Amino acid sequence: MFPIYKKELQSFFFTPFAYAVSALFMFLFTNIFNTAIGDVSSSTFQFSFTEIFYDVIFYFIFLIPIMTMRTYSDERKFGTEVLIMTSPVSVLKIVLAKYLANITVFLFMIAGSALFPIVTALNGEVVASQLICAYIGFFCWGAMYIALGMLLSSFTENSIIAGVIGEICMFAMLFIDKFSQTAFISQFPKLQSLLYSFAARPRFAYFSQGFIRLSDIVFFLSAIIVFLAWNYISIEKRRCNRG
Amino acid sequence: MSAGTVTINGIDISKEPVKAKQKIGYLPQDPPVYPDMRVKEYMSFCAGLKRIPRSERKDEINRVMELLKISEVKNKLIKNLSGGYKRRVGFAQAILGKPDFIILDEPTVGLDPNQVIEVRNIIKDLGKKHSVIFSSHILSEVSEVCDRVVIINKGDIRAVDTIENLEKSFCSEVVLHIKVKGSKTKSASIIETTKGVKELTEINDEGSDSYSFTAVVDGDAEETRKNIMSELISNKVDITEIYSDRPNLENVFIQLINRPANSGGLEELLNPVPENKKSDESEEDK
Repeated sequence: MFPIYKKELQSFFFTPFAYAVSALFMFLFTNIFNTAIGDVSSSTFQFSFTEIFYDVIFYFIFLIPIMTMRTYSDERKFGTEVLIMTSPVSVLKIVLAKYLANITVFLFMIAGSALFPIVTALNGEVVASQLICAYIGFFCWGAMYIALGMLLSSFTENSIIAGVIGEICMFAMLFIDKFSQTAFISQFPKLQSLLYSFAARPRFAYFSQGFIRLSDIVFFLSAIIVFLAWNYISIEKRRCNRG
Repeated sequence: MSAGTVTINGIDISKEPVKAKQKIGYLPQDPPVYPDMRVKEYMSFCAGLKRIPRSERKDEINRVMELLKISEVKNKLIKNLSGGYKRRVGFAQAILGKPDFIILDEPTVGLDPNQVIEVRNIIKDLGKKHSVIFSSHILSEVSEVCDRVVIINKGDIRAVDTIENLEKSFCSEVVLHIKVKGSKTKSASIIETTKGVKELTEINDEGSDSYSFTAVVDGDAEETRKNIMSELISNKVDITEIYSDRPNLENVFIQLINRPANSGGLEELLNPVPENKKSDESEEDK
């Protein structure tokens, strides 16, 4: 498992890829942070990191598919899928190694954003508990999207298609709660509650307010497990179909 | 839907895939290489995948790189290598860790003639210590490299045997080609009446008073060739060319592929049941 994890990390860090994605994330975070600072009321001198995270998530859905789109599709494109499939490594370990490598890059990406609370703390006061909870929520959301992005990459050998479908799916997932509250869906209460139960944003809202609820953790964890299990099935099915 | 099982040293690959795959080295038709990796990095990655102990990894990588003569390009990016080198890098990963079974899918495609000879020699050497499954459409290469052949057509196994046995079974007749300068009728009658010649099957006018004859030999081909030569010389006929069509794998292949699919395996193919017996059996079934 470790050689695949290492190889995946090398493909991110020995190329400009991880740095470009992280730089883009930092650029977005900086812009939103600057806007938040600019909007600070002169009477209270308060602003919320939580709101920054909320705004970042909107742009964030464009970055995750870029990160995950090559996970399996490039292996197929270069014919190296055969090498991994015929090696004495189980499909589960292949999926986990690739997932952990993506998670590592994601952590590297968000680690840079810690600079802003640190600078703020040096010059003022930061509500640490709320900030940590927001980071945990942000991480959970990202981890779920990575598993989804990897799944979509396992369906095609064209990384661009995997990326575009990833953008669409993640965008839909982001606004599923808004969609469930539309007048049309409100006519069907059962459907409304079903759709709402898949919404990640209301759950992230609790994290950003400084609450860590078990149900929210279970939601993200089960979504990750479902997507990773689907990853496993998709790869295993392809392996069997290839004979 | 496919059926059956694959066992490697008694390990069922569908039940214990990891354990079974540890015994296999595989080179697919397109070398499975990462273009952005250096050769050395790639070999190190493959050694890790194959769970070669860290202490042995360096020596093993050097051994296969020396064997495949890729040491001089070990620091180059794979994307900058020629097709032949890429194929050799792919081959090197297949034999990394000395697997019991090495499966090679057309390993010489894209190599220059010198490299082809080198790779064939490596495969022959590997065959002494490992079981090598070699897939190729180049039958002369198969004849040279393999001890045992499986001929497959559209998923049907048409034959499983040694090359020698297949050639004996399918090409019992040896054909002699004789080219002479002189009288056509005289030459034909001499050849036809020579001891060992079964029948004359073809006569072609090659122009300039030259004729070519094709004769089927009944018995020892070498003896018959000598007889024909001495008869023609004693009758003052100029021989310009004489050679025999040796039984070869290509002939076997053509014969097998053109036969209708047979589910009875090699035995039935080699000892076909006569048509009348077959119809008797089918009647009995009814």
